[in-house]
Amino acid sequence: MQQQFVIVGANLAGGIAAITLREEGFDGEIVLIGAEPYPPYERPPLSKEYLQGKKPFEEALLKPDSFYVDHNIHTQFGVRATRIDTREQVVELEDGDRVPYHKVLVTTGVRNRRLRVPGADLEGIYELRTVADSDRIRAESRGGQRAVLAGMGFIGCEVAASLRYHGVDVTVVEFFKTPLFRVLGEQVGRVFEAFHREQGVQMFFEESVAAFEGTRRVRRVVTSTGRRLECDFVVVGVGVEPVTDIVAGSGVKIENGIVVDEYCQTNVEGIYAAGDVANHFHPVFGRLIRVEHWQNAIHQGRAAARNMLGKREPYEDVHWFWSDQYNYNVQYAGFHGGWDDLVVRGSLDERTGVVFYMQEQRIAAAIAFNHGRDVQRVMPLIKARVQVDPATLRDENVDLRSLMPGAKPIRTHQHRVVPRPVARPGEEVR
Amino acid sequence: MQRYEIMPFDDLWIGEMLDVEVGGVKILLLNVEDEVRAYLDRCPHRASALSEGNLEGLTLTCATHLWEFNALTGRGINPESSELIRFPVHIENGMIYVEVPEAGAIPQHVDQGED
Repeated sequence: MQQQFVIVGANLAGGIAAITLREEGFDGEIVLIGAEPYPPYERPPLSKEYLQGKKPFEEALLKPDSFYVDHNIHTQFGVRATRIDTREQVVELEDGDRVPYHKVLVTTGVRNRRLRVPGADLEGIYELRTVADSDRIRAESRGGQRAVLAGMGFIGCEVAASLRYHGVDVTVVEFFKTPLFRVLGEQVGRVFEAFHREQGVQMFFEESVAAFEGTRRVRRVVTSTGRRLECDFVVVGVGVEPVTDIVAGSGVKIENGIVVDEYCQTNVEGIYAAGDVANHFHPVFGRLIRVEHWQNAIHQGRAAARNMLGKREPYEDVHWFWSDQYNYNVQYAGFHGGWDDLVVRGSLDERTGVVFYMQEQRIAAAIAFNHGRDVQRVMPLIKARVQVDPATLRDENVDLRSLMPGAKPIRTHQHRVVPRPVARPGEEVR
Repeated sequence: MQRYEIMPFDDLWIGEMLDVEVGGVKILLLNVEDEVRAYLDRCPHRASALSEGNLEGLTLTCATHLWEFNALTGRGINPESSELIRFPVHIENGMIYVEVPEAGAIPQHVDQGED
């Protein structure tokens, strides 16, 4: 009997998984189900290029609709799956449909946390996750408008940058001491604070939103210190939580998301998870981690598909992501659950350099400002859990590739090269 | 097209990249497993300098968003649909020569791909 694989979550992870199944020669049935009425699309442009009006939605699509038809992938977009019935081996949909599976991959992602404060239901308070959300924010984005942002994580930072691009007045209320405090720590967080301030973003730290005020529409944000901020609209970016409802009560282990091993498998036979929702055991870091980044959605979606086909390949990529804010290209690799030392290579003041988050002399993670090359070179070091001398990391004359055990000698100095125009036989030099 | 003498072949070690301005055009010269290649030093994605990226084996990776290219052919690996602008290279008597058109003949950059 032909196999039917069902994927719940028609997003980057789910879409990549469906594509990978066909690429790997799976000739059974594939059903791709998603609550949003669109084929899978990438979310990074929603806070950047798409929000700035520089790119159309079509370019964010993973594949056009026709792709799924051409590859015999049955799609159900705009339909929410509600439950996985492990006894009957069916996925139940909100319209009552029951979709049988031999294997099911859950890529339901995350949902935004809501602020439970007075006035939270007023009009003009937005969040950002879907293209519809981005459209709503973009409709408000013009010079003269005043926005208050709640939260300055990656969403808050990128939305602030995009709103400034539109000439919107931006004020941010952030609970911690700096932007991105929890992920990057204070020293690096201050670098982000500085360049946002330079771009005219007003920020209040160690404050939170206590209430929204207005009659039908939000006119004012009141903070925990009693500050009153007049506004035309609000964008809330205060974190996310994994969407695990579909496996509730099924026996699948849920803990900070859906728990999976390094093969993307849950504790229940035939049920897999990947992407933002997956709390996965990572062989390099020796623990469970849940990662909310684009690269993970793609690579883990691919890994899950391959494992569903019986390939038994551990997913042990070193995580990597980027964030473009104004003209800064910020890249991050690795995963740190805390650090005991910070090593700086280059100059944070000049915003071109790399900060290494160390654990027992090993690089757990690194963040680079306009220095992507070093991030690539550090990823093998993170994976190999190599111990390095901080002085060597600081020395910009040392090529990081040479720190890998068994590395070939690498030359770092290049003498000056001056090209000289030459004539071919019969030609004159211009 | 104008031919330029660049440098001795022995001076460009395997795995090395060099950014050099040739006739007003920014060129990336690479030694890929003992084969010399020359490309426009400009990533088709967002025009970043490829010379800031990484050459590992046969793969050239752009530093900004990690687009990957086959360093021998200039064709995109990830994404597949991209391609680098390549210039003819000749090795004669141990010297590397590159043929480069006038700067004005180089196509303008147009952003490719999504973010």
